[in-house]
Amino acid sequence: MNNKLDNSYFKQVQTFLYRVENGILVVLLLSMLAMAVLQILMRNLFESGIIWGDILVRILVLWVGLAGAMVASRRGNHISIDILSRYLPERAGNTVKSAVEFFTAAVCSVAAFYTLRFVKIEFDEGGMAFAQVPIWVCEAIIPIAFIVIALRYFMLSIITFSKIIKSSS
Amino acid sequence: MTLYILLFVIILAALIGTPLFAVILAVAMIGFCHSGVDLSVITIEIYRIADTPLLMALPLFTLAGYIMGESKTSQRLVRLTRVFLGWMPGGLAIVALVTCALFTAFTGASGVTIVALGALLYPALKQSQYNEKFSLGLVTTSGSLGLLFPPSLPLILYGIIAQQMNTGQNVTISNLFLAGLLPGILMVVLLSCWSLWASRNNPEPKTPFSGKEALAAMREAAWEIPLPLFVLIGVYGGFLTISEVAAVTAIYIIVVEVFVYKEIKLSRLPSVMRESMVVCGGILLIIGVSLAFTNYLIDAEVPMRLFKLIQELVTSKIAFLILLNIFLLILGAILDIFSALIIMVPLILPVAISYGIDPVHLGIIFLANMQIGYFTPPVGMNLFIASYRFNKPITELYKASIPFMIVLLIALLIITYWPGLSMVFL
Repeated sequence: MNNKLDNSYFKQVQTFLYRVENGILVVLLLSMLAMAVLQILMRNLFESGIIWGDILVRILVLWVGLAGAMVASRRGNHISIDILSRYLPERAGNTVKSAVEFFTAAVCSVAAFYTLRFVKIEFDEGGMAFAQVPIWVCEAIIPIAFIVIALRYFMLSIITFSKIIKSSS
Repeated sequence: MTLYILLFVIILAALIGTPLFAVILAVAMIGFCHSGVDLSVITIEIYRIADTPLLMALPLFTLAGYIMGESKTSQRLVRLTRVFLGWMPGGLAIVALVTCALFTAFTGASGVTIVALGALLYPALKQSQYNEKFSLGLVTTSGSLGLLFPPSLPLILYGIIAQQMNTGQNVTISNLFLAGLLPGILMVVLLSCWSLWASRNNPEPKTPFSGKEALAAMREAAWEIPLPLFVLIGVYGGFLTISEVAAVTAIYIIVVEVFVYKEIKLSRLPSVMRESMVVCGGILLIIGVSLAFTNYLIDAEVPMRLFKLIQELVTSKIAFLILLNIFLLILGAILDIFSALIIMVPLILPVAISYGIDPVHLGIIFLANMQIGYFTPPVGMNLFIASYRFNKPITELYKASIPFMIVLLIALLIITYWPGLSMVFL
C-alpha cells in the first residue's frame, strides 16, 4: 500500500517536471523563431537589426537542440544502430539493453563532470557573450543536458534491470 | 594495445544499440585522453553549434515538415497531382512518385512520407487494379524519393559539414540544390518508366483532365502551392539565406495550417513542436559531439592515413567510386541518413577530393546511395515502417521493393559515373 502511494507521488512529480521541460522547450523554439523572423523583417524593411540578435538566435539553436535531446532520453529515444537486439530473445535482449543504458549514463556522467568544470572556469573569468549576458550562462545548457541525460539513462538502466529480475523470479 | 581493445569494445557497444552520440563521445574522449588534451575541451566543441549560422535551418525545417505531416497537406497534394498527371497511362503510379518526391523534399525522409502519403496512395493504387506487390514496392521505395530536391535537410547538412572541413573548395548550399535537380529528376523518370512497363497490362480507369476539378484542386491548395516557389526564389534569387528561408517557411506553415486551414488545433501545436524537437535534438547532439570527434580525427591525421591506405589498394578513380558505392549502400542500410552524414563525410570527403571528385558531386553520390539504403534488406528503415504501416510481413516487402531497387541502382550508376549530370548548372 505504502509502496503504491510512493509510486503515484513519484509519477505526479515526474509529470510536473515533464510539463515544465516541455514548456521550456516550446518557449525556446518560439523565441528562436520569433527572433529570426524579427531580424529578417528589420533587415529588409528598415535596413536595421538588433546587433546581438543573430548571436542570440544561434545560441537558442544550441539550447533548443540540447533541450530536445534531454526530452529524447526520457524513453531512450536516441538514434542508434539496432541490428542485433531485434534477433535476441527477451531476457538476453533486456540484459544487453540494461548494459547499454548503463554505458550511456556513464559516458554522459564523465562529460557532465568535465563540462561543468569548464563552465565553472568561465564563470570565474566572467567573459561576456553579447549585450550583458555572460558566456557561462550561454554554455550552462551543456552540463545541464549531460546531467539530465545521465540521470535518465541511469534510471532506464535500473528499470530494464528490474525487468530481468522480475522475469526470472 | 589498450587503445585498440577500448576501440573494439566501443564498436561492439555501437553494434548492440548504444546511442550513437554516446559512442562518438566515448571515442572522442578516449582520443583526447590519449593525446593528453583536457576533456573540458568538449564544452568548446559542442558550443561550436552556436557558431554555425546555417544550423538554424535544421530545427526550423524539421518543425515545418512535422506540421505539414500532421495536417492534410498530403491529401491536397495528391488531389492536385492527380488532376494534372492522372490522365496519363500509368497515371496513378506517376502521381504517387511525384507527390512522394515533393513531400519528402520538405519533410525529410524520416518515414513521414510512408505514414502520411502511403496511407492514401496504397489503397488508391489497389483500387485502380495495380497488383498488390507492385503497389507495396512503390510506396515503400517512394518514401525516400526526393532527398535530392531543395530544401532537403540532408543536402543542407552535407553542405554544412563540407563547409566546416575547409577543403579549399567552395561547397554552397545553393550549388548543392542545383546539383541535385537533374539526378533527382532522373530517378523519378526512370521509376515512372518502370512503373509504366510493370503495369502495362493493367486496365487502370483513367481520369480524364477536367478544368473544373483542376481549378477546385488548385483553390484548395492555394496556400501551399506558393511554398516550393518561395523556397526556390528565396534561395536562387539571393534574397534570403537558407536559414532565413527556413524561418519564413516555418512561420508561414504554422500560420497556414493552424489559422487558415485550421487542421491543427492551437492546443495541439506545442506537442507537435515537442515531437519535432525531440528528433532534431537527437541529431544536433550527434552533430555537437561529432565536432569534437572530427577535430580529434584531423589532429590525429586520420583522413590522411586513410587516404594513404586506400591509395595503396585502389589506384583508379573508377575503382574508388565502385568501392564507395558499395560501402555507402551498406552504410545507408544500417545507419540513419543524418548520423551517416555526420560521421562519414569528414572521413570520406578529403579522400574523395584527392581522387579528383568534386565535393558537390560527392554530396549527390552520397545521398543517392543513402536513399537506396533506406529500403535495402534486411534492415533498411523504410521496410520496417512500411511493414508496420501496411501490416505486411517484412519478407513480402523485401520481394516487392527489389525491382524498384534495381531501377534506382541503375540511376545511381548513371549519377556516379557521369558527373556532368550533377554539375551541368554549376
